Amino acid sequence: MINNPSHPKKSIRKVKQCKFTKAGLEYIDYKDVDTLQRFTNDQGKILPRRVTGTSAKHQRQLNRAIKRARFLSMMPYVAENLR
Amino acid sequence: MSNNYYEFTYIINPVLDEDKFAAVVDKVNKLIEKHGGTVDEVEEWGLRKFAYDIDKKGNGFYVNMYFNAPVETIAKVEKTLRIDDDVLRFLTLKYDAKMLRHRELQKKNAVPEVFPVEVEEEEANSKKKED
Repeated sequence: MINNPSHPKKSIRKVKQCKFTKAGLEYIDYKDVDTLQRFTNDQGKILPRRVTGTSAKHQRQLNRAIKRARFLSMMPYVAENLR
Repeated sequence: MSNNYYEFTYIINPVLDEDKFAAVVDKVNKLIEKHGGTVDEVEEWGLRKFAYDIDKKGNGFYVNMYFNAPVETIAKVEKTLRIDDDVLRFLTLKYDAKMLRHRELQKKNAVPEVFPVEVEEEEANSKKKED
């Protein structure tokens, strides 16, 4: 196993990368609902950092942006099918 | 007295007539100018469906605007709009340096895309199927 690079247990773990850092975005806009929606699950919950790989700095901004969008009813607090 | 740059989004009651929307927008602009602000840009997003009901209404007329104003203006404007039945909800944001830089990019239409190509996701999905 140690010498065999194609061993299934030795497969390279995919390194998660912060999408916002990669794009070089400084401020996450609450108006950009399409992007924000990618960081919520089907219930409308905000996905944790360990799932999306977002950096801590951007996760804080993301949370703020999503909550602003929710306040203006541009995004759901709870998904329609669960209410 | 320091002037700040603000972004202001509000939702107009959809029960009003079409031509009344413009009147409300005008009213809000006048209100801000009356209290010492200068309107920079007004963008009407139009009628949009809500993600959840506000005051038993399923949609509303969104207006997004930017203006310069001293600090005291905000409290006065918000106080008036809170009483106003035509405006369902509003959100005021004060712009800091970071947001101002973002706004400059927005004006130039040069905001970097977070998800540039749709292909990436499809690839990830096909990989999952293979697994």
